[in-house]
Amino acid sequence: MSALPAGRAATPAPPPFSPAPATGRRRRRPALGAHLLLVPATVGILVGLGYPLARQLVLSFQEYGLAQQFGRPAEWVGLDNYTTLLSDPYVWAVIGRSIAFCLVNALLTMAIGMALAVLMARVGRAARMTLQVSMLLAWGTPVLATMTVWQWLFDSQYGVVNWLLAEPLGMEGMRYHSWLIEPLSFYAVATVVVVWMSVPFVVFTVYAGLLQVPAETMEAAQLDGANAWQRFRLVTVPMVKPVLFVVLLLQVIWDLRVFTQIYVLQRAGAPTRETHLLGTYIYSLAKEFSMAGAMATIMLVLTLALTAFYIRRMLRQEEDL
Amino acid sequence: MRIVRSGALTLAAVLALSACGGGEGDDGSGGEGSGSGSGDAVSEGAEIRLWLNGGDTSDELRTWLVETFEEQNPGSTLVIEEQDWNGLVPRLQTALTSESQTPDVVEIGNTQAAAFTYAGAFADVTDLYEEVGGEDLLQGFVEAGSVDGTVYALPYYSGARAVFYRKDLLEAAGLEVPTTLDEFTETAIALQEANPSGTPAFSGFWFPGQDWYNGTAWIYTYGGELAVQDGDQWTGALSSPESQEALAEVQRLFTEATSAPRDADSNEPWVPFNNGEAAMFSAPTWARWSIDLPECNKGVDPEDTSDEATALRAEQQACNEERTGIFPLPGPTAGEVATVFAGGSNIAIPAKSQNQELAAELIRLIFSEEYQTMLAEGGLIPGNSTYTSAMGDDAYSQAAIAAALDAKLTPPAEKWADVEGARILEDFFQKVASGADLVTTAAETDRLIADTLS
Repeated sequence: MSALPAGRAATPAPPPFSPAPATGRRRRRPALGAHLLLVPATVGILVGLGYPLARQLVLSFQEYGLAQQFGRPAEWVGLDNYTTLLSDPYVWAVIGRSIAFCLVNALLTMAIGMALAVLMARVGRAARMTLQVSMLLAWGTPVLATMTVWQWLFDSQYGVVNWLLAEPLGMEGMRYHSWLIEPLSFYAVATVVVVWMSVPFVVFTVYAGLLQVPAETMEAAQLDGANAWQRFRLVTVPMVKPVLFVVLLLQVIWDLRVFTQIYVLQRAGAPTRETHLLGTYIYSLAKEFSMAGAMATIMLVLTLALTAFYIRRMLRQEEDL
Repeated sequence: MRIVRSGALTLAAVLALSACGGGEGDDGSGGEGSGSGSGDAVSEGAEIRLWLNGGDTSDELRTWLVETFEEQNPGSTLVIEEQDWNGLVPRLQTALTSESQTPDVVEIGNTQAAAFTYAGAFADVTDLYEEVGGEDLLQGFVEAGSVDGTVYALPYYSGARAVFYRKDLLEAAGLEVPTTLDEFTETAIALQEANPSGTPAFSGFWFPGQDWYNGTAWIYTYGGELAVQDGDQWTGALSSPESQEALAEVQRLFTEATSAPRDADSNEPWVPFNNGEAAMFSAPTWARWSIDLPECNKGVDPEDTSDEATALRAEQQACNEERTGIFPLPGPTAGEVATVFAGGSNIAIPAKSQNQELAAELIRLIFSEEYQTMLAEGGLIPGNSTYTSAMGDDAYSQAAIAAALDAKLTPPAEKWADVEGARILEDFFQKVASGADLVTTAAETDRLIADTLS
């Protein structure tokens, strides 16, 4: 993060006066101006990301609640918050649930998104436009507005889903079925909502990647006798792999910290304690800022652990360039 | 593939960053510069801000408050900002700690007040307490706003729950208004079986699974408590014999007297009532304005202010009230009234407010005879009980007053708001409604309450 001071220090002492031949200077040292250009971004990151992160860390080692916010001095408690949390089996249950939810959702989103992207690359113009517009609408509608609609769809008394199951499909038992009251069924509904909202992003990104695959390569593969599945698996996928990795990485991060959808669905009638995921659980701790800080730090570590593999791989690829 | 790769990396970086920033949900948008000062006029005129929650304080009351305040304090202005009850606590947590953001007077739910009074968020108003009514103020609410004899938050209004019922449906089922709590259960079950309106999923008594406000009425009436203090430790009291007896009755109502969804809460109970799907529901008495039976509806636009529309609306209201009856939930023996859950709010001056004097002026205004009378006329029980008589003597007011006299608040524990925030009681009553074993569920919930309160 200390790009600025380090940069200054690195500004070389003026090189010994020898008119270096133009060919000898493979790597040009960045001028001071270039470092100055980094300043706004660095300041932005430090203020916007560094400060909250540092504060969160500090809080997580203190006892800090409402009273402290109104001026009572905060006490240092060392690792107490962490041991309290990590020795609670309930916290582990929440962590387990969150990871399972995150993986299922990320993989499902990827599978559906890739399938739709391939479809989009194949179909004609009119169909593609329709697909693109509907994707954009799903992506662009504000979360709370869509959540209200989903909530109505699954409402146990007046919901369309139950009506459809009971009336045209004749499943009378589903007439007043409550979708949210059992945790598993709650997560199923949440998965539908979350996947529905994240698929468009995957589709557009993967579709953009697919457009980069040169037509000649595909043609050559075809001439060599590769069938459509082989061409997809052996040519297209490896070529768009970096895109797939990045998108999957983002999905994992997003689905691990999913909040709004779960929070709204909980308020729609689910048993709160049995349906907490990391995001909502941290929020429920929020009046005890220090506990929430410790839990958020645990979640950060978890996110890093889950994504370390991808990040390392991505960095290596970057070096290879 | 170079473009794809590095493009993807940049994208990842940007999105990951924005992802981190997204969840903070900063509510502090209320930062209207309070410095309305044109130049440095030394007049002590200032703009003070009052936060009122939800729509319980009518527009008429608000207008009166603004106009009267500005008249009595020339040069100063009063701005009323309406806050949503949902998410109020986190909003106050951020706003009240900042001198520049804090409102000057806030309304706060009586169950939420304790968390802030203990934290030192409010200014000491013990002096004002005597001046604006002293002993006449609703004492339960005074207690909710006090710490060790120092008053920090004064009662604003209270509202108790009463039972609304469809006269025609009770009549069709050949039933009378119940006079004891046991009779109430029998009536509800009989109605449920008779289903006089013939709709599928009919409820004798609308009792959704998460409705802990009404469930608590049974616990209180049977002599139970939600939580009790033992030394300086609070523990849940749902396992006590009194509470268990009450909960058995509650479970019976859930299983035999209602078809309300187990995943619904106490919001808008008049919707099924208006649809003919419920014969009775229990709600604060101002729910009368939401009753809108189809056979009475004249299809008037609520925005239409013409004489004709007003007349039609009055006719509609009269028709609704003719078909709807109301009674306070009856107690264990005839002639008694059940101990129901009291809702309502307190009003306080944030300690960080820079306009303490003007804020105190506003409090005096709120406790003036005129304002208190207006509150009462609007169907709320005013903070100063002297003015309760202004509520009128129609059936609604009578039921409201009768229910309120015995109504009881949530336990005055410092961290009670956390119990509500964690929705422990919603979860608990939902389990009761789902037919869970009362002993084990209550023991588990008692433990959760104890953990949260300690």
